[in-house]
Amino acid sequence: MERLERFVRGMGQYVDDIKVEHPLYMAVVRSPYARAKLINVKGGVSAADFDAKLASVGEGAQGRDSNPAAHPIFAKGFVNYVGQPVAAVFDEDRYKAEDQLESVDVDYEPLQPVVSPEAAIDFEPIHEGMKSNIISDRYLGKDFADGAEIVLEDRLENHRIATNAIETRGILADFTEGRLIVHVSTQSVFSIKRGLAGTLGLPEEKIRVIQADTGGGFGLKGGLQPEHVIAAYAAMKYKRPVKWIETRIEHLMAANQGRGAIGKMRLYANNSGKILGIKGTIIVDAGAYAEGLAGFAPGFIAHQLTEQYGIKNGYVRAMSVLTNKAPYGPYRGAGRPEAAFFMERMVDMLADRLGMDDAEIRLLNSTDKPFTSPFGMHIEASKPFMEKALEALDYRKMKKSKAGIGFFVLVPGAAPGEGVRLAVKDKKLHVWLGSNQHGQGHDFFIKKLVKEELGIGENEMVIEVPDTDNIRSGIGTWGSRSAMVGGSALVDAARHIKDEVKRKNGKYSKALLLHGNYDYFEFYKFDGEINSFGANLAVAGIGPVNEVRALEVRAFYDVGRALSKEMVKAQIEGGMIQGAGQFIGEGVIYDENGQLLTASISNAGVMRATKAPKCVVKIIENPSDLPDKAKGLGEAPTIGTPIALIRSLEHISGKRFSTTPVRPEDLI
Amino acid sequence: MEAMNVKITINGKEHSAKVETRQLLVHFIRESAGLTGTHVGCDTSNCGACTVLLDGKPVKSCTVLSAQANGKEVTTIEGLGSIKGMDKLQKAFIKHDGLQCGFCTPGMIMEAHYLLKKNPNASEEEIRSGIDGNLCRCTGYVGIIEAIKSVQNGADNGKA
Repeated sequence: MERLERFVRGMGQYVDDIKVEHPLYMAVVRSPYARAKLINVKGGVSAADFDAKLASVGEGAQGRDSNPAAHPIFAKGFVNYVGQPVAAVFDEDRYKAEDQLESVDVDYEPLQPVVSPEAAIDFEPIHEGMKSNIISDRYLGKDFADGAEIVLEDRLENHRIATNAIETRGILADFTEGRLIVHVSTQSVFSIKRGLAGTLGLPEEKIRVIQADTGGGFGLKGGLQPEHVIAAYAAMKYKRPVKWIETRIEHLMAANQGRGAIGKMRLYANNSGKILGIKGTIIVDAGAYAEGLAGFAPGFIAHQLTEQYGIKNGYVRAMSVLTNKAPYGPYRGAGRPEAAFFMERMVDMLADRLGMDDAEIRLLNSTDKPFTSPFGMHIEASKPFMEKALEALDYRKMKKSKAGIGFFVLVPGAAPGEGVRLAVKDKKLHVWLGSNQHGQGHDFFIKKLVKEELGIGENEMVIEVPDTDNIRSGIGTWGSRSAMVGGSALVDAARHIKDEVKRKNGKYSKALLLHGNYDYFEFYKFDGEINSFGANLAVAGIGPVNEVRALEVRAFYDVGRALSKEMVKAQIEGGMIQGAGQFIGEGVIYDENGQLLTASISNAGVMRATKAPKCVVKIIENPSDLPDKAKGLGEAPTIGTPIALIRSLEHISGKRFSTTPVRPEDLI
Repeated sequence: MEAMNVKITINGKEHSAKVETRQLLVHFIRESAGLTGTHVGCDTSNCGACTVLLDGKPVKSCTVLSAQANGKEVTTIEGLGSIKGMDKLQKAFIKHDGLQCGFCTPGMIMEAHYLLKKNPNASEEEIRSGIDGNLCRCTGYVGIIEAIKSVQNGADNGKA
């Protein structure tokens, strides 16, 4: 049965739907404190049960380094956020597993937590062995003289957001015949495999990871997390299947959260509106534990800070700081929306200062030739795109409805390539991709590209479930990369296999391929930059009780070749609603004690049907240089939507806004 | 923990089981009856992934006890369509891109099914209001609303 038919008929096989004999259900004892000394843990499985070498987990990393900020599987000595795993309990009945949480006695000695990343800079280090809470601190670009006619300053912030896929995290781990077999809700079976191998000290060949149907990821499910390791460890310890299905409250308190970035920006311009340079400090809230990504994030924001503008000078301090909150992780966009927000808010501020039109000031600062920014980002000439976008989005007319507009560059996660395997079995072509779908519709582009390259129709091909036993290596689905890099890997492999048929037979035909014996794996490497342009126009509104509304959002994106126009449209619509959510109310809110105040998916602000804006999607297709001619797409709408909506709200209210979400009290 | 016998008719078939009194209807459906199309998304009635019809009316089965459904009739996503194929709403969801990851879809379709039965000529506003208790994180609701409208107008007529 086709994937979508399985889903609409209730025949999906998400992790919790997989039936096994005699599973144990896992429940996790979690810290009620944002920061405390862990005096004693009695009962359940806890850190004491773990061998020292199994003690830490990173974002898909090996996890055995000596980084004091590495996330321990179970808390050791201290807890550092509400929801941090302290112990785990297991039972044959899922209700009784929850009951057993009561049987674990934990003694804590509460400590003063630090919640704000700005305060954390000078706060005592939350981890022993660190000199401060700063985990990365770099200067990017080059300092420049301040002599400008206009200098504008603001403190901008995107609050944290919970990723909130409707399917929470989940894993089913089993240990049979000396191998760990894992079914998991994931964006990358290989990240899970490598991570488990590293943390459990198992050779990679002893681990098999199979992707279950995955009910959305939005960044969270890209890497290994402590609960995965606990479940796998328990499966080995008890020698039976262990299932862990995260509850929503666990998701909201303990799963990695995205955004959470502050930009203290200073824009330099002359009286004509020409921007001369940008300086500032970018601070990312790394949460309580951090390896890799959280340290990388502020520099990534800075990298794309100048967006579509030909701004020659840039100098930014990019910092990532530990706080007593759930760890930082990617949320759809992952640094890109923050960069656009910081830049476009300053451009709008300049437009207001000079009384210039929003489009006029942007055109004035666009480039009419390729440009390399002071932070090293390469873009093509942006002026032609801007002109087309203003026309396509009907800017002049929509301006009368107080529409806002925003422009951005999508920097996709093209590196480090992708794996693909094509094999003929039973006269059908079987396709495995290292990147796996969880809502993007990979099967649409796989079918199209295989048909184009090899003439093989969907009835003669099998799109296989990602399974580390059946494909040697791969990367995963994140950073708007699957259609462009995964698709290109597929095209490259298809051309290779076609050549192989030709070499053997003197010619190629579908029949020769499907009656032959072919099995080809390729790891397609692409390390270049294929950045693309996008623009959004939007109309906001204010409701009767001062609530912020998103009424209409329009998109105009260069998607390269659209491999499926319907899927492109659907992906953009969905992303625009997430972007609108960030504007009207999505957020994870903590009080000054680090206690979570947004404890339901509704409180965390996930957009409902009655609040969702009207969507208008337009695209242009400037083919990329990749074999499948596609460009990145998935994250574009989360970048462009908030900046356009917040500008519209400024036009309506006459007020300046510097933070997402915009709350009713901000309008007073 | 106290146990009781419950008998619930699901999609026309009677299911009896001895269950704990605290058992939630969603777990009776998923575990006692083995129908895993009904999902759990939030455990708190916020997301609607667990929506089923109880005596013809939509309920969030993660916050209904099995005991409350004792002797009643439940329709789940598996109860729409037949072995031969999908019903028209299921087909319309595929045709109009009314799903991406598919996790909210069964609950969403059950709610839409009820909505159209109760109000066959629902306006777009009424459709939005009808599915307001069912969260979708992927589609932005655009394809979902198009799918529901298409069935309403008889435009798809069961032929996707």
